[in-house]
Amino acid sequence: MIEIARAPGFLTVQDLGWPVGRSWGLPRGGAMDPGALARANLLAGNPAGAAALEWALGTGTVRFHHGTTFALTGAGGEALLDRRPVRPFMTLSAGPATVLELRPGAEERFLYLAFRGGLDIPELLGSRSTYLPAELGGLSGRRLHAGDRIGLLTAAGRPPSDGSHAPAERRDPDAPMRVTRGPQWDGFTDEARRTFLGGEYTVATASDRMGYRLEGPAVPPRAEASLPSEAACPGAIQVPDGGQPIVLMPDGPTVGGYAKLAVVIAADLPRLAQCAPGRVVRFREVTAAEARGAFAAERAALAALEAQLAA
Amino acid sequence: MTARVLPLGEGAWTVTLGERLDAGLHAQVTALAEAVRSAQLPGVLDIVPAYVALTVFFDPLKADAERLRERLASLAAGKLPALPPEAGRLHRIPVRYNGPDLDPVAERTGLPRDEVIARHAAPEYRVYLLGFSPGFAYLGDLDSALVLPRRSAPRARVPAGAVAIAGPQTGIYPAATPGGWHLIGSTEVRPFDPSREPAALFRPGDRVRFEPVP
Repeated sequence: MIEIARAPGFLTVQDLGWPVGRSWGLPRGGAMDPGALARANLLAGNPAGAAALEWALGTGTVRFHHGTTFALTGAGGEALLDRRPVRPFMTLSAGPATVLELRPGAEERFLYLAFRGGLDIPELLGSRSTYLPAELGGLSGRRLHAGDRIGLLTAAGRPPSDGSHAPAERRDPDAPMRVTRGPQWDGFTDEARRTFLGGEYTVATASDRMGYRLEGPAVPPRAEASLPSEAACPGAIQVPDGGQPIVLMPDGPTVGGYAKLAVVIAADLPRLAQCAPGRVVRFREVTAAEARGAFAAERAALAALEAQLAA
Repeated sequence: MTARVLPLGEGAWTVTLGERLDAGLHAQVTALAEAVRSAQLPGVLDIVPAYVALTVFFDPLKADAERLRERLASLAAGKLPALPPEAGRLHRIPVRYNGPDLDPVAERTGLPRDEVIARHAAPEYRVYLLGFSPGFAYLGDLDSALVLPRRSAPRARVPAGAVAIAGPQTGIYPAATPGGWHLIGSTEVRPFDPSREPAALFRPGDRVRFEPVP
């Protein structure tokens, strides 16, 4: 069992989200950085999609009631287990009654803490993720706060040995985000499209698990911004009147009536999700084949890590 | 208009059948959704019908994206058996017409309160699509005398079960979420209940009648 002794500003239970549900308005949800959550899980000896903690907005402390294997992924901050520094992207062991203090750095918005066995949270429609807008899933559909205790499921097999590590995903923080054309790409002028692909956009403070607002050169659609509502997806870049793009995130609405200029590729959306407000981002168009190739490469990297840790 | 099939990211195709909403076009969308579902195409995860378009989500590693695109284009171009109007289920929803916006709506439309209620409860509505919140169904078409733009300032929280209108649509809020529609009544019916099978009560193509109760 683990206990949240001190919670950061934004702490929820997440896994890899709901595989189906879009047709009745339930977004995919799940970790903002699914690769980081998956790696934390594999290092903790879990399947990639076990329920873990998604940690954001500040420092906090977790108390281990009994000894267990765990791992955390994230960068640029400090983690102290009974006051001794421990490293991310590594299989770690906590003894009973130990205390883990996390002080995230400014580098990344979301850290993941996975515990051997995975968090013992009831599944809801196939996922243990938390969908806050409708108070569904996770721990009673809400953020975790001080005093919350969660049990861990019983794990099968052997965990990876302590000290096993995973390479942090190679992410170039300054590389443009790759996008493919959206269904309404033709509804924008050449000039608007060039402006978007050449422009610098700042992640606004109004950015959360539903979507990130971007501030920068306007990209107005040719006609009115709204069309009959149709399905959207995480990564979709919506452009309302005014031309300031909004990138949908995992908890974003499943349908919408704004023109979708482009879609951030699945392999790059986690990198955008990890950008704190104030970060400047740029976009680059790629083909569908490149997007699928990057998607496959990430899946292959996770499979390779799983095999390496089992060896 | 010939159907267009365009990508929505690397894991979805959007098939657009038209540009302007009408019930006939929507019937084609739901017929296409049914055809795609029955075809059991490999790798397909979710089929999301909307007003004039259908989006098919798939796992890029389990489906051949281009093959899937061709199948969708060919299904959309082919003769889609129009589902009979009774194909969707009919839901009868008891409503207490006591919403905080009922009188303001009456005033803005220039109709007596009782007539707002009568005109809202008269039609048999069609479920066009689900979205915004799990289980939230967009129902149409609202009597043109009741058409109003959404509230200029949405409420931070509307009650679960609130019956509301905006534009040419009506709907029932499934949960206490923010909401910008005009609240004209309430119902005990829950469009979304995770412990129920199915969790979401309404499906596109279903029909809904509201029945005033005291």
